[in-house]
Amino acid sequence: MLFRRSQFDRDLEEEMRLHRELRKQEQIERGLSPKEAHYAVQKRFGNDLVLREESRDMWGWNWLEDLVQDIRYGARMLKKNPGFTVVAVLTLALGIGANTAIFSVVNSVLLRPLPFQDPERLVDLRETEVAPGDYPLSGPDYLDWQAQNHTLEAVSLYFWRQIMSASGAGEPEPAGVVPTQANFFDVIGVRPLLGRGFAPGEDAAGKNHVAVLSYGFWQRRFGGNPQAIGKAIELNDEAYTVVGVMPRWFNFPWAPDLWTPLDMSPKNLGQRGDHSWNGVGRMRPGVRLAQARAELLTISKRLEKEYPDSNNNVHAVLIPLQETLVGDFRTPLLILLGAVTLVLLVACANVANLLLARATGRQREVALRASLGASRWRLLRQLLTESVLLALTGAALGTLGAWGCVRLLATAKTVSLPRVHPIGLDGFVLVFTVSVGILAGVLFGLAPALQVSALNLSEQLKTAAQVVLSPTRRGRLLRDALVVGQIAVTLALLVGAGLLLRSFARLRSADLGIHPHNLLTMTISLPDAKYPTLEARRQFFDQLVDRASHTPGVEAAAVSSEIPLEGGSNGYLSVDGETDPNLSNQLVGWNYITPDYFRAFGIPVLEGHAFTAEDLNRTEATASRLHDLYMAAQGSAPKIPPDLELVCVISQTTARTFWRNQDPIGRSFHWDNMRVIVVGVVSDVKEYGVRAKMMPQAYFPFTLVLSYGGYGRLTIKTRVLPTSVLGEIRRHVRGLDSGLAMFRARTMGEVIADHTQDAGVQASLLGAFAALALLLAVVGLYGVMSYLVTQRTREFGIRVALGAQQASVLVLILKQGLKLSLIGVGLGVAAAMGLTHVMSTLLYGVRPTDPPTFIAVATILTVVALAACWIPAWRATKVDPMVALRYE
Amino acid sequence: MHQDEIPPGTLYLLILRTLIRGGEMHGYEIANSIQQISEDVLRVEEGSLYPALQRMLIKGWVTAKWGTTAGNRRARYYRLTAPGRKQLEAEVSQFDRVMQAITRVIQTA
Repeated sequence: MLFRRSQFDRDLEEEMRLHRELRKQEQIERGLSPKEAHYAVQKRFGNDLVLREESRDMWGWNWLEDLVQDIRYGARMLKKNPGFTVVAVLTLALGIGANTAIFSVVNSVLLRPLPFQDPERLVDLRETEVAPGDYPLSGPDYLDWQAQNHTLEAVSLYFWRQIMSASGAGEPEPAGVVPTQANFFDVIGVRPLLGRGFAPGEDAAGKNHVAVLSYGFWQRRFGGNPQAIGKAIELNDEAYTVVGVMPRWFNFPWAPDLWTPLDMSPKNLGQRGDHSWNGVGRMRPGVRLAQARAELLTISKRLEKEYPDSNNNVHAVLIPLQETLVGDFRTPLLILLGAVTLVLLVACANVANLLLARATGRQREVALRASLGASRWRLLRQLLTESVLLALTGAALGTLGAWGCVRLLATAKTVSLPRVHPIGLDGFVLVFTVSVGILAGVLFGLAPALQVSALNLSEQLKTAAQVVLSPTRRGRLLRDALVVGQIAVTLALLVGAGLLLRSFARLRSADLGIHPHNLLTMTISLPDAKYPTLEARRQFFDQLVDRASHTPGVEAAAVSSEIPLEGGSNGYLSVDGETDPNLSNQLVGWNYITPDYFRAFGIPVLEGHAFTAEDLNRTEATASRLHDLYMAAQGSAPKIPPDLELVCVISQTTARTFWRNQDPIGRSFHWDNMRVIVVGVVSDVKEYGVRAKMMPQAYFPFTLVLSYGGYGRLTIKTRVLPTSVLGEIRRHVRGLDSGLAMFRARTMGEVIADHTQDAGVQASLLGAFAALALLLAVVGLYGVMSYLVTQRTREFGIRVALGAQQASVLVLILKQGLKLSLIGVGLGVAAAMGLTHVMSTLLYGVRPTDPPTFIAVATILTVVALAACWIPAWRATKVDPMVALRYE
Repeated sequence: MHQDEIPPGTLYLLILRTLIRGGEMHGYEIANSIQQISEDVLRVEEGSLYPALQRMLIKGWVTAKWGTTAGNRRARYYRLTAPGRKQLEAEVSQFDRVMQAITRVIQTA
């Protein structure tokens, strides 16, 4: 039927023709003249064309044919008006393209489920402690959970991402390694691309020198060679055998280069109060999260009773793994999606206004079609089809742009997004784009289409073609309303961007408690194989600090386990002689430092002193004894003799928390059965992050941490540009150990930038969208004002002819423009006041209703709007009254 | 003579009934038949036959075939199918029911 339509038509025509002729014949036989017979038959039959169409309609294919016809007609119309079409398509491309780009990120990050098997059953395992928040697990607690629970099918333990020096298949390079339990890949639910995962039992000392490679590492170091399985690789100078390679998309956790098996012996897993581990679990099929949480809580409470010293307030926390991986990104991404939707609305308003302007020109054409028998619905459908066609063309163009932008975003190093799924456009995003296109087309096309198809046939056919038909009052109101809406939305977006920008500035310049200038920091990791003893490590770092301090241009050098903004260690302390439970077993931030740390970072010592040489000597002796005791105890808690003492320096918050009205110097607290004496108080430093709450902090001599491994952060305070001494420092390191790699040499400025870049990216994106909206709104306002001027040309001509000054015409137009702008700004401010609360989690140091931002944005927008009105207004003053009066 | 319009919804019924009597007929013949048998009371607006015939073709109540008339002209002839016969029965019984109901309403005082 669809394809043999003309045949169908011809057949039907022939059939009806025969019928008419036979009837005519009959009438002639009855006595009518041929002419009369003809008219009689015509009357009886009715409209031939309509009947044929009705007959065809019966077949139900009509809608498709109509659609094709509408599309072809619409395309022709659009081609006839290239100027309009190009502007509309570009506008829509910008609006829809931005939506596509952001939605593809939202899709990859938030919507798609994790690429593991049955990902909704996976949970992240954490524990609560006395301090608020949740924390890593302790080894013995984890083992008890593993043994005692029934709701989790399996659990797996893993450690943090460590930087090790990888060599043996090329140049040494730093590689990220995550040690895991043997069942890790099975629990997560992922199969290796090549080879195998870890076999049961490989997570024990002596058996765990195997490694599974990530796809990227395999490509880089082994050239993607399938024979890589079985080859050897060296990590921190120890040999490992490659047993498997993971698929390209797998990068859990923290995108490591390699995975190795842990040593799951109790000795390695540490004490019950030592929270250093990460865990992931898979719930049994059919078990709900609430059930698993309840069961683990019961087990935790049991452990709390059994081990009151270490497990007080320590309860299991289960968080769906998806939440852990992408939860932080939800708010900013949704805000961006909201912003980009608003931009699209502004773009649609512009195109709607363009259509309304064209509507008056199309009324003759539409009236003609109506007189030929098109119903209003049919006309409406055709006009809407044209709008949707416009929108889809814009969508296609916008998608191309979005594809490019998303590629950029995905490969940009400065944008931190969860990379669980590759970020890009997929089928779902394309479906989304097409839907948005169709919706947008209907949205901006509806009002103009309704207006055009509201017909007064005779009147419109009568007027001459050149007349610019004056728009109806409703049309004018609609155009004004659209512009006001655009300005309001733009104001809201600009306010949002302004708030984020201010937050970002505040973050960057936040007082961290240190002097961040001229600081260089880098990580040094000593391989256990080469530095097996406490003594060897101590010697290395002592020499390093010594040489670094004596480098020309260096003011101070220190080594520490953490640096400001990148802290993470913490421990418990119990104040001596305190019965108040609030002051015992408190979580305190930990940092191990060499004596010049405070000098290097410019942290003022408020009371007492930093570590003296005597303090250090005593600490060294204590550290050696401790080391021996731990070695002897072989995994169980050693008996600490009462005469072992340590010294520490505390932060102001610690002093205020624990020794509020007393002098803390000389006071002591207990840590892990050892007595620790406070020798100094320093000013607070943001060790955990710019936004993090200030936690009490304690500083210990660096030697103490060397028994765990030879790892430290070297920080240098320079008199000159920090990067200029980098070469010298490298030489010193090479001089002490030629095979050692130094990682992540950064200035403190770069460290701060790393930690605030998310805020920067968010501010930039929202700023870009707000700027786009501003551009579109300005264009829209300019268009409306120009149109207004054209409308009222005759009136202005008359005014000038009657003696009005040019200036008064200008003022007239500007007043009209100002009126629209002010209403828009007013509405925008009201809307923004309500909306900005949504982004309060993203703000720092700025309130959502921050008055300076609102005032600044409102002022700028009003000025810009006035500027947009200026040119049309100025053109109005140039109207020659003679021309205007003749203008019909 | 003033001719009444056919009641809405009964066109199919009339066409089906006409075809079951007449075997194979083309449009003109169907229209004439209805007019004659109803003694000129019922007048089908002749054009409206054709959309109705298309519908009946879609529903499978009739089939159509091109043939030649007595005057050697090409015409499309329609004939009833088995489903068409069934449809006719259904329509007739429905019509009877409705007519009886209307009659009762009118006759009740």
